[in-house]
Amino acid sequence: MDLQEASNKDLWKDIYKTGDLHFCFNCSTCVSGCPASHGDPPLLVRNLARLVILGLEEELLQEDTPWACVSCSKCEEMCPMDVKPFEMILAIRQWQSANDETRVPQAIVEIYKRGYTQAVGVNKELRESLGLPPLKTLTENIEQLELFREMLMKTKVVSENDYMFGE
Amino acid sequence: MQLCLFLGCNTPAIRPDVERAIRATMPVLGIDLVDADNYVCCPAFGSFPSADEEAWLATSGWNLSIAEEKGCDFVVQCGSCYSSLRMGREHLMHNAAMMNRVNELLDPTGRKVTGKSGVRHVSEVLYREVGPEKIASHLKKSLEGLHGIVQYPCHTLFPSEVVGFEDSARAPKGLRVLTEALGASVDGYSRELQCCGGAGGFMKSTPEQAIEFAQSKFDAILEETQADFIAVSCITCLMFMENVQNTINKKIGEERYKIPVFDYNQLLALCLGFDPKEVSSICNVPRDSVIDRLVPVHPA
Amino acid sequence: MADKKPIGTVLVAGAGISGIKAAIELAESGYKVVLTDDSPQIGGILAKLDYQFPTDHCGMCRMLPLVGREYASQYCMRKSLFHENIEIMPFTAIASVQGDGGNYKVQLLKRARFVDPAICNEMGECIDVCPVEVDDAFNHGLTKRKAIYQPIPHNTPKMLLIDKDACTRCGECVKVCTTNAINLDARDEEETREVHSIILASGVKLYNTREFDDAKSYAVSPDVVSSLAFERMMSGSGSYKGGEIRRPSDGKPAKNIAWVQCMGSRNRRQKRDYCSSICCMFALKEAVLAKEYGGADVETTIFYMDMRTFGKGFQQYRDKAVEEHDVQLIRCRVQGVSLNTDGSLQMRYFDPETNEFSVNDYDLVVLSTGQVPFETHKKWADLLGIPLDSRGLLATAPESKVRIAGKPGLFLCGSLMGLTDVSEAMVSGTAAAGEASKFLSAYGVDSTREEAIPEPPARERELPLISVVLCRCGEKAGATGLDYEMLGAALGRISGVGEVLAIDSVCREEGEAALADILGKTQANRLLIGACQPFMYRRKLKNVARQAGFNSSLVEVFDLFGIARRGMVEPSTGDWTLRAVAEVRAEIEKLKYKPALQVSVLPINQTALVVGGGIGGMTAALSLAGRGVPVHLVEKGGQLGGYLGNLVEHTVDGLAPVAMAKDMQLKVLQNKKITVHLNCEVEKSVGTLGSFESKLSFGDTGENTYLHHGAVILATGGREGATTEYGYGSSETVLTQSELKQGLASGSIDASELENVVMIQCVGSREKEGRRYCSRICCMGAIGNALKIKEMNPDARVFILYRDVMTYGFYEQYYTKARAAGIIFINYSLDNKPQVEMGEEKPVVRFTDPVLNLEMEIQADLVALSTGVDPVDSNRRLADAFGVVLTEDGFLAEADSKWRPVEFQKVGIYLAGTAHSPMPLRSVIMQAEAAAQKAYTYLSGREVHSAAVTSTVKDALCIRCQRCVTICPYGARSYNEADDCIDIDAAACQACGACAVECQNNAAEVKGWSDKQLMAVLDAKLMDSLFSSAAG
Repeated sequence: MDLQEASNKDLWKDIYKTGDLHFCFNCSTCVSGCPASHGDPPLLVRNLARLVILGLEEELLQEDTPWACVSCSKCEEMCPMDVKPFEMILAIRQWQSANDETRVPQAIVEIYKRGYTQAVGVNKELRESLGLPPLKTLTENIEQLELFREMLMKTKVVSENDYMFGE
Repeated sequence: MQLCLFLGCNTPAIRPDVERAIRATMPVLGIDLVDADNYVCCPAFGSFPSADEEAWLATSGWNLSIAEEKGCDFVVQCGSCYSSLRMGREHLMHNAAMMNRVNELLDPTGRKVTGKSGVRHVSEVLYREVGPEKIASHLKKSLEGLHGIVQYPCHTLFPSEVVGFEDSARAPKGLRVLTEALGASVDGYSRELQCCGGAGGFMKSTPEQAIEFAQSKFDAILEETQADFIAVSCITCLMFMENVQNTINKKIGEERYKIPVFDYNQLLALCLGFDPKEVSSICNVPRDSVIDRLVPVHPA
Repeated sequence: MADKKPIGTVLVAGAGISGIKAAIELAESGYKVVLTDDSPQIGGILAKLDYQFPTDHCGMCRMLPLVGREYASQYCMRKSLFHENIEIMPFTAIASVQGDGGNYKVQLLKRARFVDPAICNEMGECIDVCPVEVDDAFNHGLTKRKAIYQPIPHNTPKMLLIDKDACTRCGECVKVCTTNAINLDARDEEETREVHSIILASGVKLYNTREFDDAKSYAVSPDVVSSLAFERMMSGSGSYKGGEIRRPSDGKPAKNIAWVQCMGSRNRRQKRDYCSSICCMFALKEAVLAKEYGGADVETTIFYMDMRTFGKGFQQYRDKAVEEHDVQLIRCRVQGVSLNTDGSLQMRYFDPETNEFSVNDYDLVVLSTGQVPFETHKKWADLLGIPLDSRGLLATAPESKVRIAGKPGLFLCGSLMGLTDVSEAMVSGTAAAGEASKFLSAYGVDSTREEAIPEPPARERELPLISVVLCRCGEKAGATGLDYEMLGAALGRISGVGEVLAIDSVCREEGEAALADILGKTQANRLLIGACQPFMYRRKLKNVARQAGFNSSLVEVFDLFGIARRGMVEPSTGDWTLRAVAEVRAEIEKLKYKPALQVSVLPINQTALVVGGGIGGMTAALSLAGRGVPVHLVEKGGQLGGYLGNLVEHTVDGLAPVAMAKDMQLKVLQNKKITVHLNCEVEKSVGTLGSFESKLSFGDTGENTYLHHGAVILATGGREGATTEYGYGSSETVLTQSELKQGLASGSIDASELENVVMIQCVGSREKEGRRYCSRICCMGAIGNALKIKEMNPDARVFILYRDVMTYGFYEQYYTKARAAGIIFINYSLDNKPQVEMGEEKPVVRFTDPVLNLEMEIQADLVALSTGVDPVDSNRRLADAFGVVLTEDGFLAEADSKWRPVEFQKVGIYLAGTAHSPMPLRSVIMQAEAAAQKAYTYLSGREVHSAAVTSTVKDALCIRCQRCVTICPYGARSYNEADDCIDIDAAACQACGACAVECQNNAAEVKGWSDKQLMAVLDAKLMDSLFSSAAG
């Protein structure tokens, strides 16, 4: 691979502005106890950091493994260089979403549509049978839901992908 | 003490008996709960936090503003919700520009976030605020004679400076102490701190390995402990640790893994004498082996 | 007559090896030392280490003085230390310090031991009856001890004390103590001392796996131990019982052992962004020893990040560990250890060799724990009222590692500089002593030059008549059950014994008086004193005898109470008084045939010769001249300054060598005590400590001149290594790091035009066919250049291709800084070296990124090669001229790589700086100060005394085979061609006896150890065993 061609040296600035990432010295602490590193292909957090540091944009965009992260954040606790690897993974996902609309998680459409990832408050009978009070959900409060949607519409991911959020 | 109950998505939608258990138990122990009307998704890490920082934090801000309006902290059971809200709040508190931007976005909705309300995990409230002694003094039934293991929600441990409340995130004690307060013996085992593996995209992207990973944990439980039950305090742990047992059983073609899994508040509710039908009825691994063995506590 | 000046006194706070070294050096220069330690014992960490690499043995005694040996103990250092000028105060804290440079008032807090060591007879019954058992901290809890205990198992005297926290005050020990040595109501005592200077040698706090949270993921079982605890597991006085290393939890043999490096260190998240320097070598050594002590089937694995083998001989040791001992090295930091049901320990790691995860079970996991320095530094800063630097450490003067900034008279050494290995501890202790000595000399205090008591003539030609004096030792005697009358009567019957007398407490003043009284009246011509701890009292008692008109060489002291104790331990051996008689009989026989020995007085020419005019040489010259010693400074080249002083403007750690050298040069030239000889080499040097004669030859004129001097410091430097690798020489775009440095400094390289710079480390270094060693400074040098480029052009990309980043200690901060600046570090291995090809315009560098396992290439504007440091060629001629040894790598070989790093085997010759091995400038300066101090110790006096016991040649028996010359480890023997005889350098000879063993003709002999004496001793002993077996 020719780094000259393949590498965008400012990639990190697009992804993870804090610069914490640079402290990484590839010690492998993050991967040795990572649940998703058991996957196939494994999630190798240090490799993701490396792709960002080396500016290998194409390769990073192709990476599916950031999405395998279980968000346990143990790497964040253990990282001796305080790279905050979990935050880095979120940042990489954001960057991928921004650069590849197919990466935009479907969950945000759900949230946009009803406020939740699940059908919250719909199971009224069940709730009653358990002795639970009715819930005041956003889904049922059209006025608030609209305000919520309007707010989201002002953010980049929603406004740039507005076609996803149609009725 | 008053806390604002943040339910998240999974609990009210899929496991409302856990919600019932929380609503039933906390007031008994002196924690009054108020509802978070019109709350939205925390947001889950796989949603806005994976797509757009601004949308993420605006959503966090929306939620946080509700607790602030009620003038109290959030109490959360779901590990992801807890961690997402804590992290969102942390980002806002450390980034004044982002705080301003979020308030700009919130303004037309009539909301405002300052960060004055905190976010607390229900196990932390029980461990630190209520305490095991108080819990023990209220018991009508006990888990005496039963062995359990505890599953600490990763999201309440790591990173410790953002979400932590244990003395050591690497050697947590809270859930063990709380479960012991109910009379159970809690067994330790080599993979006690291994993540259940249920959150995020691990299971979705490589199910075979995720199941293997979970199985290694269950094998350790079977081999090293006498666990009659598993106590968790996170809706994802609860659902995943139940479901994955069935999945593994199906895969291996034998009913090897059938340890009942409870949310801690469910066990607490049972021991405080609440009706199992209300507080502990929804499950994929039968719980009768535990519920039938509850021992009545006679006031001394 | 001028006022008598006070004797310079120095407080050395901390009696680990660096503190002890500083104390000995000062004591040897005639200053008084108060040596304190917080702990109840001395020796620091090294007291726990039975083995040190590269020899894998102890060797602590090698730090003792070689000349004038009789002023200090010549004794196992791990047992104890004794020197006339050192007052040792263990278990003593510094409560407060008042005053300023040259005038410090120190409040000492002597902690209560509850057992008075002066009275204690060390029979140990108190320990037997003590009902309290606690973890023995010395053995890291691997063994138990009582509340009343001996702090170090191998200490002499035992120095018992009571653990205040553990003691229940049951009083059982008091009941059994026959000497009333125990006082449970003892209190801490305060004492004030006035000192002129203070050396901080406390060491730093060590990372404790029980205390720090980040260890909790690893320390999941008793079988996860710290590296120091592992040392105790391999020690006979620890938990080692021979044959196998046993895991603490259940005593099962540990066959699969793993080391986890950087435990607690190199951790920015925990605010410990430093390396602990010593752990890599420590782990390698432990892994090698594990095979030796745990059985050949032991498997050892070290999980590491960078194997920091930066010091002299380190890389070679690593190679040996891997190749000969099959120690596995895996470059991965593991997240934690989990405990399996069978007690084994599991670790999962990503193996960079296979690019796959592995899960392995181990019987034992050793955590390589390092330093946590900040607390200790803060404590000292508060106590001394001095500020800490931005890192939270005591600030030293920029160029000095030992001189505390802005505080004249305050110094530090040892691990306060960051954890140090033995060698660095020795150098720093000596350098701190040197700095203190310079300070005291300028401050105007005196040193004690003891006036030698003239040696009375020996009456050795008379028939031996021995007077035996037995010390009753106050009340101790009663406790030992020694039957004085019976012993005395039996000894009196031995032929040659005149009288047997008993006196009380010969160690005290009244005892000395009684002894003097006896000697005044006696007719005897030889004196044998039975007391205790001869290593402590021998010299004093000999002085008493000398004053009473007795030739001291015919006075001997033996350990009466040692014999008594040996008898007590095994009461079943019968009448041990009879055994005692036999033991003393041997002493009597030895003394009977002992010749009178003379201490020779060696005159000292108080002039020094320093070879090498670089910063190291100039530092040494100025250091000596500042104390009034005339110095000849010889430089091969046409100007002073050396490599660094002429070519390197800035170092990464903020020094400016060129400016520094200019400043020093001015001082050298202005100093009337220093004579500079340029374009000059030493052709030949003969002589010994105190009187060398050296022939100088001047390259420019071809002239010769002769110099007389008393000591030599060799401070020749090094030069940047040469290479033809990686296309060097074929293009201007491939250059060495120093060419890059100069180009950037002069502007001939325009950083703003650089897009991509690739640096390649270890060029021709750490390879079998090349420099086998690590040049130590190249990583810092490359980082310095890379940071410079980034500073001038933040858009430039700099790639550093490395094998192990050698930013040991606090240099780690520059590695961190470099990464933060966006410099990209890429690891490569010897079997997959980068390739440089000359492209059309620019060189193309190809390499494999081991993280992504991807082959990459980049067009570089510049390729900078770290070609290492070579020794200068003149080292060979120098070694020949001075009769010293070169290493295989062409550096000068010091006497002992650990304990005598700035000395040669031959006394009077010292070395400093890159002549020793490549090292950073601050280390060069420290070594130069240390070498200067070593020389000053002797040059400060007009004479030194040789030891009485040295080797001799019986010329008539000598066949001049010169085997003794070859075998002498101290270079004390030489063949004198002119007189056709073997010469012996009495100052250099350490009386080791190697020559006597080697000599086939009995011509070589050590005085006082003649065959006749030894045969007599053997006869006496054999007679005893015959007697015993007959009796039994």
